[in-house]
Order: sequence, then C-alpha cells, then structure tokens
Amino acid sequence: MSPKHEILLIEDERNICNFIVTTLKSNDYKVNYALNASSGLSLAAAGCPDLILLDLGLPDMDGIDVIRNIRNWSNVPIIVISARTQEKEKVEALDAGADDYITKPFGTSELMARIRTALRRSTINNNMLLPTQNQYVAKDLVIDYEKHIITIAGNIVHFTQIEYKILTYLAQNAGKVITYDSLISHVWGPFADSNNRILRVNMANIRRKLESNPADPQYIFTEIGIGYRMIDNENL
Amino acid sequence: MSKTLKNFILTFCGLAAATIFAMFFSHFAPGNSGNIALIYILALIITVRYTDGYWPGLFFSVIAVICVNYIFTYPYYELNFTLSGYPVTFLEMLGAALLTSTMTTNMKQQARVIAEKDKLLSETEKEKMRANLLRAVSHDLRTPLTSIIGASSSYLESRDILTEDEKNAIVIHIQEDANWLLNMVENLLSVTRIHNQSSKVKKTYESVEEIVSAAILRLKKRLPEASVTVSVPDELLIIPMDAILIEQVLINLLENAIIHAQSAKPILCYVEDGPHYVTFHVKDFGVGIDPDRLTNIFDGNSYIGNSESDSNKGMGIGLSICKTIITAHNGIINAQNHSQGAEFYFTLPKEEVSYES
Repeated sequence: MSPKHEILLIEDERNICNFIVTTLKSNDYKVNYALNASSGLSLAAAGCPDLILLDLGLPDMDGIDVIRNIRNWSNVPIIVISARTQEKEKVEALDAGADDYITKPFGTSELMARIRTALRRSTINNNMLLPTQNQYVAKDLVIDYEKHIITIAGNIVHFTQIEYKILTYLAQNAGKVITYDSLISHVWGPFADSNNRILRVNMANIRRKLESNPADPQYIFTEIGIGYRMIDNENL
Repeated sequence: MSKTLKNFILTFCGLAAATIFAMFFSHFAPGNSGNIALIYILALIITVRYTDGYWPGLFFSVIAVICVNYIFTYPYYELNFTLSGYPVTFLEMLGAALLTSTMTTNMKQQARVIAEKDKLLSETEKEKMRANLLRAVSHDLRTPLTSIIGASSSYLESRDILTEDEKNAIVIHIQEDANWLLNMVENLLSVTRIHNQSSKVKKTYESVEEIVSAAILRLKKRLPEASVTVSVPDELLIIPMDAILIEQVLINLLENAIIHAQSAKPILCYVEDGPHYVTFHVKDFGVGIDPDRLTNIFDGNSYIGNSESDSNKGMGIGLSICKTIITAHNGIINAQNHSQGAEFYFTLPKEEVSYES
C-alpha cells in the first residue's frame, strides 16, 4: 500500500472544513487545514502537501492570488472550491494554474473522484520513469497516440487535423476541465482569435462522430461558461 | 431659461420659414391671401408641436397676423387695419391660431399625464411582483427548514430508541430537504444575474446542444433515477443567451415534469429549429396540468391559498423564475396540455433583436 497522501485544506467556513476533514480522514488521507490564506500558505510551504483544496472566498486574500503565490514555487495540484454562478472566477483560477475546480455544494463521491484524478495526474507528471502512456481508453473509445488512430467499438473514425488535435489535448488531460482559452491557444496558437465560435463548430463535429446522441454525451462534457472535460482514461 | 430660449428660437424659425414660403407663394400666385393665412396656420401647428407652453403659440399668432397684414395684403409693406372687412379676417385668423395652439398644448399635456400614470402603474406592478415572490420564497423556505430542524432534533433526542432503519430514513429525509433548499437558492441566485433596471441579461453565443447536455447531466446528478429522452437538431445551432440561466430554465422544467407528471414514461426533451426562433420543448406523459392553473402557472403565486400547497412546493417560484429569464431573453414561455400529459416550451430568438419591438 502506498504511503498516505497528505492533503491541505484552506477553507474559512468551519462547518464545511469539519465535514471535508472527516470525509478525507475516513477515506484514508492525511489532512491539514487552515482557516485563512496566510496560515494556509505557510502550511503549504512547511508541509509540502500532495494536494491543496482551496476555497476561493477567503477573508484575508483573494483566492486567485493564493494560487499564483503557490505556483511561484510548487507544482502541487490545486483543486478550487467555488460556488456555481461564479464562472468567471473559476476560469480565472484555472488560468492562474489551478488544476481543477469543484462546485459548492458537492457530494463526497464527487470530491473523492476529483482528488483521485488530480493525484494520479501529478504522480504521472512527477515520475518520468513511468512508460509514457500511448493509449487513451474509455468505454468504447480508444485513442492510439502513436498510430494516430481513433476507434469506437473497434471501428476506425476519421477526424480532421484540428479535431484530432482538440481530442488528443482533451484526452491527455482527461478528467480535468480545460478552459476554452487554453484549448484555443493550444490548437490554434497563442495569437488566435479568442472568439470561440470556431471551437464550438469543431466540438460539434467531434461530438457527431464520437457520441451516439450529441445531446446526451458519454465522452466529452461541457462545463458551461468554462470549458470541456473528457471522461477519465481507464488505461492508467 | 434655456427652455425659453429654445421656445423663442423655434418660434422664430417657424415664423421665418412660413414667411419665406408664403413670399414664394405670393410671388407665383399673387393676391391669394387666404392660402397665405393657411400656410401660417400650418407653420403654427408645427411650431406648437415642438415648443412647450401657451406663450409661443400666442406670440406666433399675433406676429403672423401682423405679417400677413404687413407683407401680403394691399397696401404692401404697410400696416393698415382700416381695409374693408379686414377686422373679420384678423379676428378669424387670430382665433384659429389661438385655438390650434391651445389644443395642441392640451394634447401634449394629456399625453404626458398618461405616460406618467403608466410608469407609476408598471412600478406598482413590479413592486407587487416582488412582494409576491418574497412571500412565496419565505413560505417555501420555511417548510423544508422546519422539517430539517425537526428531523435532526428528533434524531439527536431519541438516538437510543430509534432503529438503524429509522435513523437512516431520518437522515435521508434531511438530505432530500436540504437538496431541495439548495435547488431553490440556486434559482433565486440566478435571478440576481438579470440586470435589475432594464431586466436585460448578458448574452454570449452558445451552442444549444452543449446547454441541453449540460442541463441533462446536472439533472441526472441530482435525480439519478430520472429518465429523459433528449434530442437536438442535426445542424449546430449557436444562439445568443446567458447559458447558466437557460440551463436553469431547462433543469426547472425537467424537474417539474419528473416530480409532477406522476408517470413512469420517460420525459421528452427536444429542440426545434425555426426561421427566427429556436424552440425548446419539455414534454411529459403524465397527469397533465389542471386547466384552471394553466392561465397563471407562471405567476409565481399560483399555489397561494391552495389547499395542496405543500405537494406543489416550489413549482410556483421555479416557473416564475423561468418566465423572468425567458422574458429577459425576448423569448416566449408557455405551458399546455396535450392528449397524454403536459408540455412546456420556450423560444429564444436566433439573432440579437432590438429592444423596441
């Protein structure tokens, strides 16, 4: 059994803090918590946690600044906790370097899934020794990065260059939400027009090739106002 | 001060224009002073239309009469009130001028009074709506809160005598009520996204299928046993909207259908493309809506004073919020019964429409 992962929780609401700490402990994580940003930052620097859960609405500091501060010296995965209607804040947090976000209120299973995904991604990134994954597998979908072949239930599906680029970028970041802006700058370059109509059109085409019902997708989910999230890779 | 100046300038311009026009006229058709008087009266009406108060009209008519006498009647360029029958012409013209000026001014004043009344009326209407919403909200929030407080205290007090199953039932009940409260609060929060004064929303171009699928996903998270058959048109539809709000409307309608239809058949959710509008349908195959309630189902207080209010809790507010959201998008929302159940649908304009219509 691998050593216990250490999680740092920065959250000012004591009730929510208690509930998360209890849940994490019962799921076999080591938990530290801070009730404000400054003590959270010093705990992060002192303890070197494996993952940070950060509430954006802290009393003493803007959550975005906390993320930037941590990103100055560490690549530790950060999951942001925020309310539903603040899409702009979420996008800012993701663009500032947060790995993922979870919307208040959330169920424990959702929180655990996000934590597992983030931790797995960071272990892959940290251990260059691991054989680089060359396949993405989820349900009937297989993406072979080396052969540039995408199959659904064994049948080869053809994608345009752009569509393939979008799809592989999402697949390589599977489980994590990718903002419109980062997707556009990855596919069309940093100076591309941030008008995301062309992205929408490409996504619609991908959806029609990939999903049996585009209105009820199985592989790529839309996070309204933020970006897209692809279903987790099973081949890990 | 500046108003007086404006009035004066406008009056002067009207006089000058009438005089110049009349001079042209008399040059080509001399000796026709009746027509010239008519030209002045026409100019007078136009002037009064664009000035405020009685004075400009009065001033205009006196000057006009003098002008006609001085320029256009024999002897030319000389004031002469002794001409035979002239006092009659003079009085006639002055009378006509005064009458039109008074009438036009009166009309303008009446229009202003009516506009003010309308504004006042719509404001009280808004105030009434707000009060209704607040009343409905407090009522709707109190019910689940009471049940949560009651259930949790009975759990704490009689922990020792309750069986494991009963304890579970209590906690599940608390969770249900808390989820319902959350739903409610999200609805209320979404209303704050609508700009208060102009009731406008911030729209961006969004793809319809993404909104529909996100709504279905969130619905399934909340009500895992819900069965919905969903379909969108083959071609991609990108229309302007506030995506979060439209998602909220869809979720409200779907949830309503699931809770109130009392049917095991899956709910139908589909999107229709039209020349100017995109229509979203949510159709259930259940008991339908009581025809008495159809007319005011979106009013937000349709259940107040209704004996079965608790079985319909939240329906009123959820739907009135839907209506607010769709109206702010310049769309239409409606409910109707079909042969096998109820159907809600709403439209969204495909292009940004101007606010005047």
